[in-house]
Amino acid sequence: MTCTIGLTCDDARLFRALARWLDHTGLEPPGELTLDVHVADAAPHPDARPPFRQPSVVVRSGPPEGGVRLWWEVAPAFAELAPGAAVARVTLSPSAIQQLDLCTGSFLMTVLIFLLRRAGWHHVHAATAVDPAAGRGWLVAGDAAAGKSTTAALLATRGWGVGTDDLAFLTAGAEGRVTVAACRAPIALRAGGRRLLHLIGGTRRAERDKFTFWPEDLGGVWAPRVAPDVILFPSIGDGRTSAAALGRREALAELVRWSAWVVLEPELAQAHLDLLGALARQARAFRVILGRDLFDHPDRLAELVA
Amino acid sequence: MITRYRRHPELRLAAVEGEGVVLHLGTRRYFSVNDSGLTLLELLAAPHSLGDLVAVLAERYEVTADDARESVRAFVDGCLAARLLEIDGDA
Repeated sequence: MTCTIGLTCDDARLFRALARWLDHTGLEPPGELTLDVHVADAAPHPDARPPFRQPSVVVRSGPPEGGVRLWWEVAPAFAELAPGAAVARVTLSPSAIQQLDLCTGSFLMTVLIFLLRRAGWHHVHAATAVDPAAGRGWLVAGDAAAGKSTTAALLATRGWGVGTDDLAFLTAGAEGRVTVAACRAPIALRAGGRRLLHLIGGTRRAERDKFTFWPEDLGGVWAPRVAPDVILFPSIGDGRTSAAALGRREALAELVRWSAWVVLEPELAQAHLDLLGALARQARAFRVILGRDLFDHPDRLAELVA
Repeated sequence: MITRYRRHPELRLAAVEGEGVVLHLGTRRYFSVNDSGLTLLELLAAPHSLGDLVAVLAERYEVTADDARESVRAFVDGCLAARLLEIDGDA
């Protein structure tokens, strides 16, 4: 696979590592986006704008300066995207480079999220999947404990295509349909999800306390693009698996809830919101409670929202 | 002097089937609005008085002027508290 995001870097070894990471994401946004990376002792610019905090990453954006500045809290690393610019200028300190896997997975991925907004790709915390029989696309949105990854893994075991378990990007697709592009990354399961799915193996990621599986490891395939027909907002419950249909307005409000970046960068917010609105119109939405019965009857979820 | 209200400039709207979601970029909060709320917020892209809003609501939703006035007053008060609206002419 080939990533279409350009990369410049003044350190040859780092360039190779970052090019490999970008390539593995499988992201192919339109237009010319560039990640411009320098190695130096990074220090945050003075910035009085209110911080928007995500795990280990602090974002400042909006007026009066415009654009976005990002700071990594784990090791010195800084990024800036000027208003309207399709370039993210990144400074990584030597200590950030020593933790490159962690840096790419958190800080640089967040930088990419802002860079991709400039190509009209807007992030939503969601898994994506596609039913190989009916061809119906699913978007499963929610927080880290909602069951997105377990649902994605379960669907992969049923032969579904899975795009991502968390990094989904809304794009304006053909014929006015919202299409969701996936960042290729393995499905990350906690020990409980792995046990419920009766899975063995996987790659242990100690820093995240998870095991990772590619969709192909589980019997599925990677689905880089999905046009959702169904949206699920799951949570994990004690009883039987259930699904309740949501109205369009409730679905839109939920989508906004799981699209944290929509409130940042005023000049891009309306385009992001419009895509969320189009998605709420396009797909039927359900609030789903995932029960343990799902692991004995793995097709139950599809039956409930058929 | 008649007070006129308008949408806060940091407000963004998305509509689905006549209802919608309002996002305030400054406070980073979002709200769901029903069809009449969406109608009023769409109108308030330009400054309007309470009387203007009451007239539109009474006509579009076939409610009495008293009911429309009460609904508009409550809506505007709620929106002002959430900084979704501002008074035209205020800095």
